[in-house]
Parts: sequence; structure tokens; C-alpha cells
Amino acid sequence: MSVHGVIKKVEEEKKNDLKMRRLKNFFIKLVFFIILFLLWSILASIEYWSNFLFPQPKEIFITLWQGLRDGTFIFAIYASMKRLIIGYFISLIIGLPLGLCLGRINWLNETIGSLTLGLQALPSICWLPLAVLWFGLNEMAIIFVVIMGSVLAIALSVRDGVTSISPIFLKAARVLGANNLKLYTHVLIPATLPSILTGARLGWTFAWRSLMAAELLYVSTGLGSILMMGRELHDMSMVISTMFVIIGIGLFFDRFLFGKFEHYISIRWGTK
Amino acid sequence: MPKIDLINVNKLYIGKNGIVHALNDINLTIEDGEFLCIVGPSGCGKSTFLNVIAGLYPPDEGQIFVDDMPVKGPGTDRVLMFQEPALFPWLNVLQNVAFGLRMAGLLKEESYERARALLRIVKLSKFENSWIHELSGGMKQRVALARALALDPNILLMDEPFAALDAQTRDMLHEELELLWLETGKTIIFVTHNVREAVRLGSRVILMTARDGKIKKEYKIELPRPRHIEDTELIKIAKIIRDDLREEVLKISEEVI
Repeated sequence: MSVHGVIKKVEEEKKNDLKMRRLKNFFIKLVFFIILFLLWSILASIEYWSNFLFPQPKEIFITLWQGLRDGTFIFAIYASMKRLIIGYFISLIIGLPLGLCLGRINWLNETIGSLTLGLQALPSICWLPLAVLWFGLNEMAIIFVVIMGSVLAIALSVRDGVTSISPIFLKAARVLGANNLKLYTHVLIPATLPSILTGARLGWTFAWRSLMAAELLYVSTGLGSILMMGRELHDMSMVISTMFVIIGIGLFFDRFLFGKFEHYISIRWGTK
Repeated sequence: MPKIDLINVNKLYIGKNGIVHALNDINLTIEDGEFLCIVGPSGCGKSTFLNVIAGLYPPDEGQIFVDDMPVKGPGTDRVLMFQEPALFPWLNVLQNVAFGLRMAGLLKEESYERARALLRIVKLSKFENSWIHELSGGMKQRVALARALALDPNILLMDEPFAALDAQTRDMLHEELELLWLETGKTIIFVTHNVREAVRLGSRVILMTARDGKIKKEYKIELPRPRHIEDTELIKIAKIIRDDLREEVLKISEEVI
């Protein structure tokens, strides 16, 4: 066999190895969840707890299916996503530039930066009473809570990213003729991208959690409120199926939106 | 013709053990097209020397002239290279080389074309679309060299650029740098702690003192080129300089004891 052939063969083997490992991991996962599902079914069948507190898994699926068909879930998801996306984008629009400025301008960091750090210690749901008094019982109040939940995390994460840029990048850029504005657009921002990703991801998680907390406390539409409605109606399968929907949405955004962004960064930076 | 003039240049900074006089009343003229090497024990102010010429830090006292014009900040007529390649991980190889040209306002296509020509010189044409983390240490430093050359600076300032490379790669880069210097006649200031490297490359070698930021001695190196790091004459000269350097290094260790 020629050298080239040998190389081909080795490559092939390596690829197969990787495939096998992935397949194996997938099966481990699958088996685990099947066992979990069976365990749940068995526990529900022996009716140690009443069925009303511990329903069969198939009831959850029925409720889920019905909820999707009659539009209860679709409407709730729409209401929640609208608030989340509006609140999150306002947070990004404020948080990203604020973080960049905090990282570069010392007096701003000493003032606004300290304030941000202080406010970050307050769980975002604690803003709800204030928001309701300020804005009344409306969408603005909930969006405000979402913003307060995520904007600070985004700003602080970006700030830390800016301050931890290796000074050698800035030196090299200055030597090569990058001055004020170009230093920001061509060096500082791209160098901060990994931290921007971390901040955006963290901000998203916080926004999502703040939203759910606010919807639980504050009667309206949305996923949080159907979760609460399930409790009021003593409908456990409603409660659990809503929890599944909430998990599903969380995973979807984490995998697809941020997963793509992370992939892009890891190819360039060679992380992972 | 003098290219760079340093007049009574002083630079101090606060280090871990108090104030360090990194440059102490330095008066020096560097001729156009000279290949100047600066050696000295670590922490003697070699890097500071390059940083003030690059305009990254102003001197505390004294003045620096390049082509009779006072240095007021960084300028693309003198590009500094570091021990780390300091390449930007968010750009690929070609974009890194073109960075300075883009900053100078060149259009994308034009700057890429010039960057490609430079990648040919450093023999990395095949890697123009690679990401930085995919390159070896020697390749990274060659990209950094191409990036520095892209702006066609008259002066190349090099701060131990080959210190982290293995011996074979370093030998190759010495050849490439020597050839480049012979062909372009650029003024090069090269800082190193490796005396043989200094004699291998420089047309003049300056030895700095260990603690007080002064020039201890100067050596003209008039060996024929191309040189090789194993040449007997070169090793002899390097030995003389190394003995002088050892005196300085001993001074530090005595202080520590």
C-alpha cells in the first residue's frame, strides 16, 4: 500500500472511532431516559401516591398534545416569548455598550460599575413590586423585570471581557496604526467576542428565569401563568406538561442560538 | 546618515522591588540600514528601549528623533514585533497580515493582494485561510513578520521574536531575516538575551548593564554574510561578549545573595 493509502486508512479509522464513541454515548443517554420513563410509569401504576399527585407519563403527553391543539400552549408561548425577546433585546442594546464603556473608562467603572455590581446582588424578581407601582399591572412591568434580570449580567460579563484582553493585542494594534475608533471596532470588540457570548448567554438565562418568576407571581397570560393555573385547578399533568414546555424552550435556545455562536467562536479561537 | 537619534533618554518605572531605572541617560545614534542588536540580562531595560522608540510609552526625559522628527506616538514607519506573535485570533492568516493596511485605509482587495505577496515571502501562501491556532510557533512568528512588513516600515523593532522557538526554526528565521535585511536595507533593532543570536544577526551589538539602564559596551560585528550561528569566528566574538555579559549577570546574583 502506498503511503497515501495508509494515511487514508488511518484517517478512516479515526473517523469511525469518533462515530462509534458518539453512538455509544447516545445509547447511554437513551437507555438512561428509557429507564427513567419506565421507573416513572411503574411508580405511577402502583399508586403509592394518588394519581392526582403523581400522574402517568402518558397523561402528561395527552395534556401536552391537547394544549398544543387547542392553542393554550401556543398562545402562552407566544405571550412569554414576546416579553422575553423584547426585554432581552433591550438588555443587549443597553448592556453590551455599557459593558464596553465600563471596561475602558475608569471613572465610569468606579461609579456606574459599582452601582451595577450592587444591584446585581438583588434577585431580579424583587423588582416586581416596584415595577407594578411604576408601570401598573401591564406588560411594561414584566418587561422591566426581565430587563433588570439580564442587563446587569450582560454588562458585567462584557466589562470583565474587555478588562481581561491581553494588553499585547492592544499594543500590536496600536503599532500597526489602529487608533481611537478603529481600535474599538477592529480590536476591542472582536477580542471581547467570547465574553460577549458568555454575557449574552448568561443574560438570556437570567431573562428567562426572571420572566417565569414574574409570570408566576403576577396573573396574566404566558407560560408561568398556565403553570399557576394548573396549580389552582389541581391539574398536575397541566403543571408538569408546562414544565416540560419551559425546559424545551430553554434547551432550544441554548442549543441552537448560542450553540451556533459558540461554534463560530471555537473555530476561530481554537477553544474546545 | 542617522536614522534614529536618542538624546538623554530616561525612563523609569515602578517595579516589584521599587523604582527601576530602565533607561539611564541613553545617547545613541542608529544609522540608516543598520542591524543593531541589544543584549543584556533580563530586566535590564532592553524591551523598554524598543517601546519608547515605537512610541508606545513616552520617555520620562529626553527626546527621540526618527529621520530628524521627534517621536510623539506610534507610527507605521516603525513596527514592533513581540516575543509572542500577538496575532489576532478573530482574523485568519491573510486578514492578520492585511490588518495594518486595512487600518491605513486600503480597500479589502488591494490589501489582501499585498498580504498574499508577503505570505509568499515568508513561505506561508498555503495557509492564508488558516486560523491562528492551527499554526505552529514558527509559522505564527513568520505571519507576525509578514504583518509587520506589510506596512513597509523603514524601521523594524524586534523584541526577542525568536526566543520561544526551537533551534532549527530559529536558524531558518535567522536566514530569512538576514536575507530580508540585505535585500531591503531596512533599519532593524533586535533585542535578545541570546548573545550568539545577536552576533549572528547584528552589524553592531550593544550590551546593556544589569541594573542601572546604561549602555555598557558596543561591538562592531564585521563578519561576512551570510553568516551561520556555528561559524568559529562568530563563536569567538560571542564568547567575548558573553564574558562581559556574565559580569552583569553576576552583579544581579550578588545583589540577591
